[in-house]
Amino acid sequence: MRTIALSLLELLLFIAISPFFSGLITKIKNNIRMRTGQSIFQPYYNLAKLFSKGEVVSDTASWIFKAAPFVVIASTLTAALIVPLFIVPGSMPRLGDFLALIFIFALGRFFLALAALDTGSSFGGMGSSREMFIASLVEPALLLVVFAVSLRYGSTDVAALSGMHTVTVSSLMAAGALFLVTIAETARIPIDNQETHLELTMVHEAMVLEYSGRSLAFIEMASSIKQMIWFLLIAGIVFPVASPGPAGIAHLAVWILWYMTRIVIIALAVAVLEISVAKMRLFRAADFLGFAFVLGIIAVVCAVLGI
Amino acid sequence: MQTIILFACLVSTYLMVIAKRMPALIMGFRYQSFFLFLVTLLMAIAERRIDLYSIAGLLLALKVVLIPGLLYRIVARIKANENLGLFLNTQLSLLCALGFTCLSWVFSARLLAPGNVLVTTTLTIAFFMVLAGIFLMIFRMTALAQIIGLLVMENGMFLLASTVSGGMPFFVEIAIFFDVFVSVLIMGFFVYRINKLFTHVDVNKLSRLKG
Repeated sequence: MRTIALSLLELLLFIAISPFFSGLITKIKNNIRMRTGQSIFQPYYNLAKLFSKGEVVSDTASWIFKAAPFVVIASTLTAALIVPLFIVPGSMPRLGDFLALIFIFALGRFFLALAALDTGSSFGGMGSSREMFIASLVEPALLLVVFAVSLRYGSTDVAALSGMHTVTVSSLMAAGALFLVTIAETARIPIDNQETHLELTMVHEAMVLEYSGRSLAFIEMASSIKQMIWFLLIAGIVFPVASPGPAGIAHLAVWILWYMTRIVIIALAVAVLEISVAKMRLFRAADFLGFAFVLGIIAVVCAVLGI
Repeated sequence: MQTIILFACLVSTYLMVIAKRMPALIMGFRYQSFFLFLVTLLMAIAERRIDLYSIAGLLLALKVVLIPGLLYRIVARIKANENLGLFLNTQLSLLCALGFTCLSWVFSARLLAPGNVLVTTTLTIAFFMVLAGIFLMIFRMTALAQIIGLLVMENGMFLLASTVSGGMPFFVEIAIFFDVFVSVLIMGFFVYRINKLFTHVDVNKLSRLKG
């Protein structure tokens, strides 16, 4: 009972703080560009606005279009339940492992792609075909990362990430591959651009173009939670954290602060990468993710060698 | 720590293999040389050898600052930054590079007694860098990329020498450095001349002028 309550609390925290990181990345990018930019809390205002607005649904849309946002948010929240945020490994109920995480995300993506096709707009179809193209390249790299991490720890449990206390070559390579995968999954610049609605370049934005109001809010929320999950996974690999030692409020506060700082560091890296590279041609995505795949292979080999 | 830097060398070599444009290739070379400098520096600190310090310093000055700077200038001058003349597309190049890594791993595992993972991986990465250099020289069609291939091979040789024998004698090393620098200068001028005469630097098309 206590663990279930803790998990739910964690889930609420996930929902509460995940838009902050989207805002943070935008803020960092704007600061590097010498602009003032929007407030860090803009994603919250956006969500509040979208939730209070009405919705427009195309006449030709079927039930898939209406159901997709709920499937997306539900699958993302399930994924958030699998990934430990604060709670020490072992204390949470075992909902699923790393492999389950990948396929839960795939479910949400599948429905979003279907929904984009559903209304029959040409942008939607373009977006979903591109998304599927990228997804097919992402998955092998991601699976290799999972194998590398679980070979080291001996379990595919996601909580295992927080059980690794040292950084090795294998984990660094896995983190590198996961970073590239995260860029692709969270629609960041070399692969996709969140800031534009230019028809030739958008991938994720093209899929959600038909959505408005509450459905759009759900999808936006799901993508920021998803982004935070990826950041957490990378942070878990690169900055392993020991479980909190003997109690004490000061100790716990430092621990929580360090937990958040890790994610902020990853967000900073993403923002700097987004600023410093140009958007790739769509077919260059194969090279980009192929590189992630090779990093994954190196990570697995290093994990087998024990270095 | 050394292993991590060595793998950074490996990754930067991979970056060079998939590079599609000249500045990206030069940037990859700069990273690779920088990581090589770090490896040498660590070695110098561990073994407390003055000559290794000076070699590391030379590595930093020549291969991280001077040679890439020179190459950037040439690229900017002849405006060759767009096309690298890929003979093999990037995915196939990446697969080839993976194959080379595997090959050099098998080779160095056969060469050395099993047990010491660090030495074996260093040897593997050194061999891989030599192979990647050859690969860049063969499968990239612009003259500038071939210069970089040569430089990558040289980096690999440097790493190889420092793993197998703890570095070449000091004066040999210095001589090699100046050799490399002068050869890059000369080849740079050559490229410039080729570009001026033929208005391109594509090595494949040079033979058409015969007869």
